[in-house]
Amino acid sequence: MGKKQLLLTIVTPEKTVLTDKPVDFVTIPAFGGEMGVLPGHASFVAQLKEGVMHYRDGVHREIFAVLSGFAEIHHDKVLVLAEAAELSKEVNEERARQAYQKAKETLAIHGADLDLDEANAALRRAAVRLKVAEFRRKHKQ
Amino acid sequence: MASLRDIRKHIDSVKSIKQITYAMKMVAAARIKRAQGAILASRPFAVEMDRMIADLYCELSEEDLAGTPARELFCERPAGGTLVLVLVTADKGLCGSFNTNLLKASAAWLKEHRGRKIVVVAVGRKGRDFLKRLKGLDLEMAHEMVGIFPKAGYVHAQLLADALLKLYAERPVESVTLLYNEFKSMLTQRIVTDRLLPIKGHLLGCASGAKGKASSDFLFEPCKAELLGSLLPRHIGAQLYRMLLESQAAELAARMNAMESASQNASELIEGLTLKMNKTRQAMITTELNEIVSGSEALGG
Repeated sequence: MGKKQLLLTIVTPEKTVLTDKPVDFVTIPAFGGEMGVLPGHASFVAQLKEGVMHYRDGVHREIFAVLSGFAEIHHDKVLVLAEAAELSKEVNEERARQAYQKAKETLAIHGADLDLDEANAALRRAAVRLKVAEFRRKHKQ
Repeated sequence: MASLRDIRKHIDSVKSIKQITYAMKMVAAARIKRAQGAILASRPFAVEMDRMIADLYCELSEEDLAGTPARELFCERPAGGTLVLVLVTADKGLCGSFNTNLLKASAAWLKEHRGRKIVVVAVGRKGRDFLKRLKGLDLEMAHEMVGIFPKAGYVHAQLLADALLKLYAERPVESVTLLYNEFKSMLTQRIVTDRLLPIKGHLLGCASGAKGKASSDFLFEPCKAELLGSLLPRHIGAQLYRMLLESQAAELAARMNAMESASQNASELIEGLTLKMNKTRQAMITTELNEIVSGSEALGG
């Protein structure tokens, strides 16, 4: 291994998505904004919000939908604890679109008597999935 | 004495019972593999989560913690408050003593804490029905969750965690206790009584001397206390998720064993009945022969 690489691990409660995968570059959707991580990054613990996560190893790029969680960077190891992480090819675009519609409708109809935070979170999650699906379409065709 | 036709009917019905129990056993056996896989898959997350929380907890001093939402979850509440019991049973029966033992244990628990204000949270239909049937007790059902097995997911655990944390925040709850079956092996389940809240600080693996020293060179975003505050609900979610998975696997194992012995019993019953049927038939033939022989003797003699 010529140059330094990051070891990326992504775990969710339901499965381990990646284990110690060597990558060149990772971006994570931290709470305060998107954050890029290169080898040699300072040790860091960050809360994640739902968003899109990229990583690149060599020429290959991959993109994930991450739905809130935590990330820890320590000694060139990146550990992502997410409540859910979906590879772009696992995201079902049709379902995401439906969920997006539904979330929007519930927000529009109820407004007051409904748990607003919950509905907003659902909407954001659906939006992230849609974004990932769109990304995949652009890059595969 | 039962006629030949009755015995045949009986054999047929036992045969169809055996078919059903055997099919149920096979279904449970197929599902248990997935349930065990889910338990294994949930472990890395829980381990990493615990480590992160322990690290954070050790770095924070008492002053940092004071007044934060995270502190609330750690500190002991004054005795005499409301007690919360989370009872996790199966949705369906036909799984041996799985539910019965659990319900007995919960009855014992309720008896032990007689006179206190108790709030129950029921997961699984059997437990809910049992708690609803109980009379003469000061019980309140705060939350129920029915029909989640055998497809319990992290979503369910999260819903449960939200409900419990809300309950914990809004009322003078002294402690939250979990009561569920643990998957020990394919043959045995163990009933576990576990305290969920308040979180036991000493369990977080922090030596008392190390507490409060801002040691390592970690950067945090947002600040430590806030981070811990949002980590803890997820920790509880992960714990509940593990509990649901354990209970699910234990239920399937119990059902598999129960159905296996039921199939075996049915086989034995069929054997016995077949023997009885053959004997009856033989006896009939013998009687008929006797009658014919004695008839012809009477004529010829």
